[in-house]
Order: sequence, then structure tokens, then C-alpha cells
Amino acid sequence: MSNPPPPPPPRWVVELNTTPAARPKNTSLVDPPGFSGSGRKGNSSKKDVAAPRKAPTTEETDTLKMKKAWELAIAPAKALPMNAIGMYMSGNSLQIFSVMMVFMCFKTPLLAVLNIQATFARLESPGTKDKMLLVKITFVLMNLLAVALGTWKVNQMGLLPTTSSDWLAWESARDPLERAFPDFAT
Amino acid sequence: MRSLLILIGLIISSVLAVFPDEAYQVDYHHALLGLPREQSTFFHQPLANSKASLIYTLSEKSIIGAVNPKDGALVWRQSLSSALNSTETLLRVGEGYDFVASATETEVATWTASDGKLIWSQSFDAQGKIKDVSLLEPIPGELAGGAKDVLVLFQSSNPFVQRLDGETGAVKWQYGDTSGDVPYKLASVGSTVYLVSLHSTLLGGLKIRITDIDAITGQKMDSHLLSSDGDVTSPENIVFVGMSSAAPILAWTDKTFKALKINILGTKNVVVFNIDKKSEEMEGVRLHAPARANALPHFLVQYDSKESHWAEVYHIDITKATIKKAYDLPKLAGKGAFAVSTADANVHFTRIAKGGIIVVSSVSQGVMERYIFQGFGVPGLQGHPHPVHAISEVVPRSTGKHGVRVAVLLSSGDWPLILNGQSAWSRPEALTLAANSVFADLPQGERLARALAFEEHASLPKAYFHRLVRHVKDLQRLPSFVQELPTRILASLTSKVAPPAGATTKADTFGFHKIVVVATENGRLIGIDTANGGNVTWNVPVPNYVQDDNWEVPALRPTAHGTIRVKNSGGNWVFETATGKLLRKATDKAKVKGETQTTIKYNITDNVVLGYMGEQKSSPIWTFKPKDGEVILSISPRPAQDPVASIGKVLGDRRVLYKYLNPNLALITTVSRETDTAFVYLIDSVSGNVLHEAAHRGVDTTRPIASIVSENWLCYSFTLKSGGLATSSRGNHLVFSELMESSLPDDRGALGASANYSSLQPSNGVAGSPHVNSLSYHIPEEISHMAVSQTRQGITSRMLMVTLPESNSIVGLPLGVLDPRRPVGRDPTAMEQSEGLNRYTPVLEFHPQWYLNHKREVFGIDKIITEPAVLESTSLVFAYGLDVFGTRVTPSFSFDVLGKDFNKLQMLATVVALFFAVVVVAPIVQKKQINTRWQL
Repeated sequence: MSNPPPPPPPRWVVELNTTPAARPKNTSLVDPPGFSGSGRKGNSSKKDVAAPRKAPTTEETDTLKMKKAWELAIAPAKALPMNAIGMYMSGNSLQIFSVMMVFMCFKTPLLAVLNIQATFARLESPGTKDKMLLVKITFVLMNLLAVALGTWKVNQMGLLPTTSSDWLAWESARDPLERAFPDFAT
Repeated sequence: MRSLLILIGLIISSVLAVFPDEAYQVDYHHALLGLPREQSTFFHQPLANSKASLIYTLSEKSIIGAVNPKDGALVWRQSLSSALNSTETLLRVGEGYDFVASATETEVATWTASDGKLIWSQSFDAQGKIKDVSLLEPIPGELAGGAKDVLVLFQSSNPFVQRLDGETGAVKWQYGDTSGDVPYKLASVGSTVYLVSLHSTLLGGLKIRITDIDAITGQKMDSHLLSSDGDVTSPENIVFVGMSSAAPILAWTDKTFKALKINILGTKNVVVFNIDKKSEEMEGVRLHAPARANALPHFLVQYDSKESHWAEVYHIDITKATIKKAYDLPKLAGKGAFAVSTADANVHFTRIAKGGIIVVSSVSQGVMERYIFQGFGVPGLQGHPHPVHAISEVVPRSTGKHGVRVAVLLSSGDWPLILNGQSAWSRPEALTLAANSVFADLPQGERLARALAFEEHASLPKAYFHRLVRHVKDLQRLPSFVQELPTRILASLTSKVAPPAGATTKADTFGFHKIVVVATENGRLIGIDTANGGNVTWNVPVPNYVQDDNWEVPALRPTAHGTIRVKNSGGNWVFETATGKLLRKATDKAKVKGETQTTIKYNITDNVVLGYMGEQKSSPIWTFKPKDGEVILSISPRPAQDPVASIGKVLGDRRVLYKYLNPNLALITTVSRETDTAFVYLIDSVSGNVLHEAAHRGVDTTRPIASIVSENWLCYSFTLKSGGLATSSRGNHLVFSELMESSLPDDRGALGASANYSSLQPSNGVAGSPHVNSLSYHIPEEISHMAVSQTRQGITSRMLMVTLPESNSIVGLPLGVLDPRRPVGRDPTAMEQSEGLNRYTPVLEFHPQWYLNHKREVFGIDKIITEPAVLESTSLVFAYGLDVFGTRVTPSFSFDVLGKDFNKLQMLATVVALFFAVVVVAPIVQKKQINTRWQL
């Protein structure tokens, strides 16, 4: 059994699909009021015509990519002063705001380090592969700097067991070998 | 939106609510007087136009008080401060007088009868002493206002009688007695004052001299000797000296109670009545006569023997100056007491004997009222105390019956009032004689405490298993628990704490419910329920008590299984804590625990402290002998149970100063009276080594020096002498010292991290001595006694409790304000501020919030004992001496229990409101979310 032929498409579909015919170039007719431009096609063709860009060479792309990669690698360090100010402002008390800030301070660099391959994947090419290692190390170092800032902050908040008072609970009093008791009612 | 409104409403209501103070909820107080003295206890109407009377008494503790006979509540009381050195104190009330007069050996004072305010006081030369005080009867010839005067008999090298104006205390006249006899008593009868003095004869007997003085002018009218020298050898033989027109008599007897001789004052003849001893061993003769001037001149003579008592009633014919016996009151077994009362002119005698009270008229022998009862209705009283003395008030009623109120002092020290044969109230005055006391656990609490103690010390898996087993065992109680649940929930929601029936035998989960067992000097053991308003739950005699100065108040020791051991030199017994039942006689064998420690005991003998091993007192291993001229005042050892949770003190920079923790610390206070210097010595009581000493010059050595040692600190207070040495400060001082292992943070001192140490044989010669930090403070009042709060683990910070005798209060000082690390002369740095240290201020004011007794006046506290509750935050406190006061303190606030101001209903209402809000809002939100999707 064969299907009946599909109904002809509605008119609006046809009109939508058929682009209007190109305007004659030397027409003296002005566009009707409200008609803006002459369609996407005309514009793009004009641009293409105006800037026929020369395709960059591989070296140039690589230089560009390296430049971009270095920017990416340094980015965490650029955020550091801002972060530090925020940390300083939030105080050393244990409040939800400062705790969240510290948490973000650790989470962001760690996630960034974990996603390092994805971050630099699109900048990687056979030409940049060797240089990329240095960039990645820098990126990791910069993120470690951010972690260090967080650690500093946590220490400031007194959350790191770095002082003797943190270990006081594990110390016990000395036992006396002798005991003396009063022999009178006290 | 609605939930928001509800929330706002709830917040507003909680802001407006007044937080109910826990005052009068957690604390209890017995405002006591002391045992009332027989000669100084009366019913008296404070207001002349009102029939309502109060009971006035001057107690053996020199407290004057007025007690409401309706409920036994104290109306007012005053402590006679000048009574400290007096052997005898007197209280007088008079018919129609709106004041009461008191006398110590050096001071006469009058107090308003209705509210106990001092009207005036007169001090006398300390060389002599006041022998008697009498209130003048209204004299017909004088103006009414001048009649309320006070007569004072003063004994010195020049004895005299003074008449003092009742309103001002001014001397109206003075009569100097030049006879050279020893003045004894005053009797004021009508307008004549009889001075009774004792004239010694060569053979050792005493003749009684009676000097008649005109009360209006103070002139001597007559003087004569009564030949009593055959009978009277000491003032104790004189039975009675009349004090009113109704009994103008002087009675005496001889040592062997052969005859009673009575002289009617104003005459010279002596009436002799031979005493019928009824073949008993006589112990004493007492005479009861009415005090009201217009009463019938009838009196009662009470005869006491060892096993029984009886009485005779006599009538005086004043015009004929004769006395005749009216009738006998028969002999009854056991001790008894008589009281005399007047209603208009009628005189009634009330007899209190074993099993009942009878009231007879003085005119005839017929019994007017008779009440039979078992015991005196004193709560918890066990044993068979006998009446010692009594006062009564008999009021005739229109029905012909009489209203009879009898307040009787029992030999147990209880003071009940019996109204028409029914017990109305009872005052536990025996508590004023408390000598020892101890907190004792009720059976269940003890079990829980032991289980918890086991779990604390066992290894982790073992403790876990133990707890598991315990909880499984607890499941057996589940059905009854579920049954009780609705009532409990209801009770907790309405925050009504209704003690369930039989509350005395059950401990509570928080450990607030204990029994304080008090041993008194009159041989009683009294159990006080800390949870039940401090009521006396039981009161039993110590089995071997005899009324003797050599009798030793027993030591008390609570043991496991809800029992308490009572031990003195005469015996050793085990009592049940919950009921006071004597369980058994115990053998004096203290359990020897498997201790590896060497045990040393120390005691003070002849101003030297000796430390010895075991019982070898003769060969002490160390002695502490103060310098010449120094007298040891006290030794305060560190409490035996003094857990410390943290062994160091965390500084602002999170370094640690290690505490010097030595359980064998003892603080010895000595004074040198010649140089007005006070010394304190902190010793290690194992080796006797002095770890720290301090001397304070210009100290008033007659004032008490309170001291205490706990944890790693010591505290003492003293009073500086006024006008003494050229010290820059005066007044009361408190010194607080803290002992540290080392002055440097993070340094554990010479012993380092070694796990144990020996004071006797120090390893490498290093005994470890503390670094001491001290600060002293000026305090506004003298401190008589110090105590420290105790909690279960020692995590809660401690509270120093001090007794202030001047303001009759107990103050709990937080240790933070005493910290010796407070910076002196500069503001604290940020680091110090984070430690909570303030700048040192030399004057330490007692903050009103620190007063544990709040509005109550706590008289005469000698000692405070503390006990940890099960809750770590809470320490139970019990103070005794004269008054008995108990409370609970939470030095770090009650962090582990919801306060009373926590509104459970409000919390539940909030939860329910939120639930409904969610139910209503959820569909709305869902609808809105769907709509937004479609409108994209």
C-alpha cells in the first residue's frame, strides 16, 4: 500500500524558503520606508568582499595560542589580590560567610587543576605541545598560590592544628605516686 | 505570607515575655533561729489593740525572732552581734509593751515588736556584765507613757540598777548597790523593784539579800537578808524570781531537793514546802507563774525526775501574804513540760506529756481540754523525743471550748506548734546545730552514676558493649515509660514540675535529686531532700547519743547502694539514704582498695602539722612547724574529688600555659599576733615541702582568714587592721594565686612530659615547683568561709563561693574576674582580650547578679558543701551553720539543658504553622512554575 502524496506545503513555507530575487544593482528605486537593509545575504557578501583575510600560518596560530595559554595560566594569580582583600575583610570569626569564602577558595583552584587538560585542550597543537608543559606547571603553581591563600586564611581562623593548644586534649596530667589525705574533718 | 505573619507574631510575643527567674525554684532556705530558750520564749501581742499574737524568742544562737503562730513563718529576726562573748542573753516582753527588750552581757537593746527594728541600744562597760533586765509594770501613779521603762541590773565592782526610758534609752535614775553582795536578779512588782543579790557566808552558803527600791525615784526603801545559806550554795538553787504582781515570789531549793522554800517579796517570812519525791530520782524543780500583772496569783511547780514528772499548783494570798497548795497534777511516766497562759485574769496550765496535752485551770483540778495524739506531727521525725519546754496560749471561745496553742521544744530540736491537738507546723531548729553534712545519692542515681563511671574508664569497645547491655536492660522499663509518657509530655508542655508520689525514693536523670544528710550536735541525723524544696524527709537519732559534752558528732560517708555510713568513736552504723532507716551496725573496717599509691596522712597537733604514713603518728615523715609566735589558724587541703578537664590554659596566641596540678596541695594559714602578720604556706602534703608562701603585714589577726585550694589556684582573704601599719590600703582583701608549671608558654616545667612523679623521691632531684601568679583585690566585705563548685568532669569553669557574714549572703565569684593574668596598669592587648582578660582593677565589687541567695537573708553560714550533678553544667550547693540554704549553680550557664524560659508550646506551634504554610504554598508555587514555562 502506497501512501498518498503529501499535501503541498503551505504558502508561507514556500515564501519563507524562497529568498526574494536579488535586487538589480542600478535601480533608482528607493527602498520603501521601514525596509531596513537588504537582507543577510547582501551584508555578508559585502563583508566577504571587503576583508578577504589571509589565512594565518601555523606559526602565527601557535604564537597566538601560547599567548592565550599564558594568559590562562596567570589568571588565577590575577584573582589573588582580590581574593586576599575579600579574605581580610571577612574576618577571622567562624561565620557562614567567611566559611563559604574559604570553601570556595579551596574548591576553585582544585577543580581548575583537575580540569587542566580540558582547559588547555583547545590550545594544544603539535607545535605548542612542548611549550605547553611549562604553561601547565605555571597554572598549577598559580592555583597552588590560591590554595596557599586559603590555607593562610584557615590558619588565621584557627582551624589548623598548628599550635600546642590544639593537642592539649591528648596530653594528660602527671600521676602522683603518693597521695596525702587530711586526717581531720575538713 | 501567612507563615511570615505567624512568625512575626511569635517573635513579638517572645520579646515581650518576661523570662521567669529561677529564684525560689532551684533554691531552698530554712530561716532558723536556734533552739529557743525557756526563759526567753513567749506569746506576745505586738499591737496593743489587736488580739493577734506572735511568738517571740531569743535562741541559744543569740537570735531574737518573731514567729507567726499561724504557719510558723519567721516575721523578723535580729542577730545579737554583741552576744559573741556572752554566756547569757535575755529577752523580755511585757504586757502592753510594743517592744521587746534584749540584753547581752554588755548591751541592752529594744526592738519594735511588730517588725523588729532597733529602737535604741545601750552599751555598758566591758569590765562588768549585765545580770538582768526587767520591764517595769505600769505604775498607777505615773503617766502612761513613762511606764514602759526598762530596768537593768549591772554587775561590776560597783553594781547598780538603772531605769532606762523605754522610748529613748536615757537613764531615769540609777541606784548604786554598796552592800558588796553579788547582784543576781531584778523583780519588778508594782511600784517596787526588788534587787535580789547573793551574800556569801563564811561556810560557803549563800544568803539572799533583797533590796527594795522605789521604782519612781530609785531610792532604797528597805534591805534584808533571807537565811538561805543552808540550802543555796550556787545561783542554780534559786528556782524562780517573780517578775509580776501575779507572782511576787522568790523560790529556792537545796541540792537534794528536800524542800521548796518560797518568800513573798516584800515580806520577810519564808514558806517551806517539803517535796514529795514519790520515790524517784529528782532532776529538777521548775516554777511556772503568770507574767500578766492582773492575773490570779497562782503558780505551778514542776518536778522532774529521770523517768517521770508531776506538778503541784499553789495559790498566793497576797493580802495575807500566805501561800497554800491547791491541788496536784499526777505523776506521769516520761518527761513532760508545763506552760502557763493567761486569759484575762484566768490562769491556765498546759501540760505536755507523752501522748497528749491537757489544759487545766489554775483554780481547780478539772481538765478543761484534753488532746490525745501520737507524736508531735513533726515531718519525718523518728524516735521518741520528749518535750523540753513549752509555751501556750489558751483562748476561751464563745462555745465554751478553748482554743489552745502550744509551741513545744522537743529534745530532738524540733519546735512544733500544736493547735487544738492538731499539729499546725514545725520548725526544724535542730538544723542550727548542724556539725557535719554530706550529699548522699538515692539508690537509682547511684546505680546510674556507677554505670556512667564504668563507661568513662573502660576501653572503647568494652564501654560500648556495657552501654548496649545497659540500654537493653533499660528496655524492660519501656512499657511503664510509655504509660507515663502522656502525663510527662503534658507536664513538660505546661512546665509544671509536679513531683510524683514517692518522689523521695527516686533519683532524677539530671542528678539534682539527692539527700543531704546532716549530723547535729544534739545527736540527730537529718535528711534534707534537695529536690523537694529542702524539706526534712527524715530525722533519726544517732544510736549512741547521750547528752554529754564528750559525745562526738559522727562523721558521715555516703556509700554505694543508697546507704550512708555514720561513724563516731562510739560506733559505726549504716543508714538507708532514702528513708533514714537504721540498716545495721557496721564493723569499722574501711575497704582497702587495690591502690598502688603510697598513702600519707597529716594532721595538726600542738601548732605543728605532722605527716605520717598509715597510722604511724609517732614517727612522722615530715613536720611543718611555723616560726615562733605564729599560730596555725587552718589547713585547707585541695578537695579529694577535684576533676580537671584541661591541664593547660590556652593563651590568646593559642599557646598553652600548663597548670600545676598536684592533688596533694594544702594551704596553711597562720598569724603572728605580736607583729600583726598573716602568713600563708602552700605545701605539698606528701613531702611537706613549702611550694609557695606569702606574708601580709598589718592584718587584723582577730578577724577570720578564709582560704581555699582547688585545681591549680588558691585564694584567701583577710582584713587589714585599721590604724595599723603604714600600709597604703585598709579594709578587706582577697588574694588569688594561680599555680603554673612554668612561667613560659608551651613548657611543662622541670618534669617535662613524664607520666608520673614522686614528691618523696623526686627523679633526678627535680620535684617540680610551681610558678605562682598572684593578684590581690579590695573587697567590700569580710569573707568568713570559701567553697568551690564541683562538676562531674571539671569542664565547666569553677565558681568561688564566699560567705559574707555582714550582709548575710553567699556570693558566687566567677574565676574570670579574679584571674591573676589580668594586665596591671595598662589596657589588655588584643591577644589578652581574646582570652577574656580585663584591665586589673584593685577594687572588686560584688555584682548583684553574683548573690546566690538573691533576696533571702542567710544567717550564720559556717560551711558550704558542693556536689556535682549528673549534668556537667550544674553543681549542687548546700550551706549550713545557722540557716540552711541550698541551691544549684551553673558557673558556665546551663549549656546542657533547656532553660525554663524555653517555650515548647511556641516551638511546636511554629512547626505546625510552617507545615501548614508549606501545604498551602506548595501548589501555588508549582502552578506558578508551570505558568512561567509556558509563557517563555
